[in-house]
Amino acid sequence: MKAEPRTILRFLLEYFDIITDLYDTQSKDGIITFEVLNQITEKHGFDIKIQLLEYKVLSNVNENYEIRTVYYNLIEFILSEFKPMLPETIEKYHISIAELFRKIREQLNGDKVLLNQRIAELSNEIRSFYEMVEKNTISLLNETRELKANVKKVDYREKIIRASRWIDEYIIPLNKILDINHSASIANKLYDVSEFSNKYRLNFDDENTRVQFERLYFQLIQVNDNLLRQSKILTNELLPLIERIRTESIILTGWITYLKNPYKQKAPKILKRKEVTVYSPDTFFNAAEIFEQFKNEEDVYFDEEEVEAEKWIFDKEHYTQKLKENLPVDNFFKWCNKTLKDDYKKVEIEKFFALTSLAFDENLLLEYTAKPEYEKIKINDLTLTVPKIKINNHGIS
Amino acid sequence: MEFPNHHRQIVEDLMAGKFILPTERTFEVLKENEDFYEHFFKASFNFELKFTQDYAYLVSDETNEMLSRDMCIFIALLSYELDRDGKNFLERIQYSEFEIEEIENYFTNSSYIDLILSNKQLKDAESRRNFINTLNRRNIIEKIGDNRFVFTSAHKFFMDFASDIVKFENVKD
Repeated sequence: MKAEPRTILRFLLEYFDIITDLYDTQSKDGIITFEVLNQITEKHGFDIKIQLLEYKVLSNVNENYEIRTVYYNLIEFILSEFKPMLPETIEKYHISIAELFRKIREQLNGDKVLLNQRIAELSNEIRSFYEMVEKNTISLLNETRELKANVKKVDYREKIIRASRWIDEYIIPLNKILDINHSASIANKLYDVSEFSNKYRLNFDDENTRVQFERLYFQLIQVNDNLLRQSKILTNELLPLIERIRTESIILTGWITYLKNPYKQKAPKILKRKEVTVYSPDTFFNAAEIFEQFKNEEDVYFDEEEVEAEKWIFDKEHYTQKLKENLPVDNFFKWCNKTLKDDYKKVEIEKFFALTSLAFDENLLLEYTAKPEYEKIKINDLTLTVPKIKINNHGIS
Repeated sequence: MEFPNHHRQIVEDLMAGKFILPTERTFEVLKENEDFYEHFFKASFNFELKFTQDYAYLVSDETNEMLSRDMCIFIALLSYELDRDGKNFLERIQYSEFEIEEIENYFTNSSYIDLILSNKQLKDAESRRNFINTLNRRNIIEKIGDNRFVFTSAHKFFMDFASDIVKFENVKD
């Protein structure tokens, strides 16, 4: 007996927790065993096995069970818990859409009923294709965000593997499918269908077919917009997000490996700073000084230094002796001048004064008049005014 | 002979082991005269000039491995602790300011405390403060006042090093 649709829907609503658990089991294990079915129903306290089979929610597979595809898809859609599909699965629409489109074009003037049916089929295929793309984008986004938050505490290496797999196996191929500029993409094929339907929605003899093409055309405008949006999500959000997870995980894995034993690992090379600086405030001037001495190309002559005259030392004994020999001396200062002139030709003032110091010899008897008589002596350019002193004797007279 | 503008500044900074960053006027001069400076440092000192879009620096055979190792430990620990704290470590290091106090919290409560205590430059608050000044002198961080700093784009040098560890390990496997 066929159950009332409302009864089935009420049943689904009433026992939704059990159905969700069954859905999770099938998603995880691929099948619901008899034992698991019993465990789940017992856990919730309701034995609904008979209804589940009667309302065709479950079907028998050998001794086990599985949720029928239509219910599985419904629950999956309600929960938005889609599993990412491999692009190969999506790629099958390329074949079906291309084939239907080819037949529509080739048999445009054939049987109108068949033509309309093919247009309707094409529309269904396009809808299914788009829904699958949308489901895949949502599922990839969910998985990525979950991986980013890392609620399940996935190991860094596992994160790298997952992120890499999603990029290489799902996102990049999916992006190719959605790339309108790629001639082999489904998006490009849809563009051709759109052009075609646009032409015949206005220019076809059968009105029904015109209406069908019109619907297809507007459906495609919407689908193309949506595909573009999905493509943007993939390239602008998902790809950078996964790429970032991958980069972060690689770096962190690297650091954790490094921290295990940093003293045995190689460190990156950085320059060892030297204390000698290339530039110092003095370097420029020092260098300039060195180079400037080579800059002058003229020959450099050094004058021979004049041999400095031997320093004259007054020989007191010699001159005292000489004075004694000349005694009596009428004019002591004149005698000094003459003696020096005889010895050196040129009288220097310091020699003159040195010689006059003999006058202070205690053994000399000096005679001078009560009223001093002065006379002038010329020594080089200097004229000295000196008293006239007579020396008669040396020693005790 | 004529030298590029800011030649002296470029030579002084690089020879002091500093990273030259895109925010500096000397970076543009280096970029325009990359070949010249490569040759200049090679011929004059046998140093190799490394130039990327994020930084420029000099490398010689005579390398300061101890300092470099401690820098790696510092950044590795900070990355690890930020991640453990639920932070997005790469984004934080790239874009956020750090307070010395925050660094202190991470280091004093780290599970790598044995490693920290065994390292002369990182063992206590004072050593770490000095070490942060060293990072500042090398242009790896930029200090903002006494208690805050941001990482410069030179941090990527160390992040690339960490990535290479994994790549190298994968090659070995």
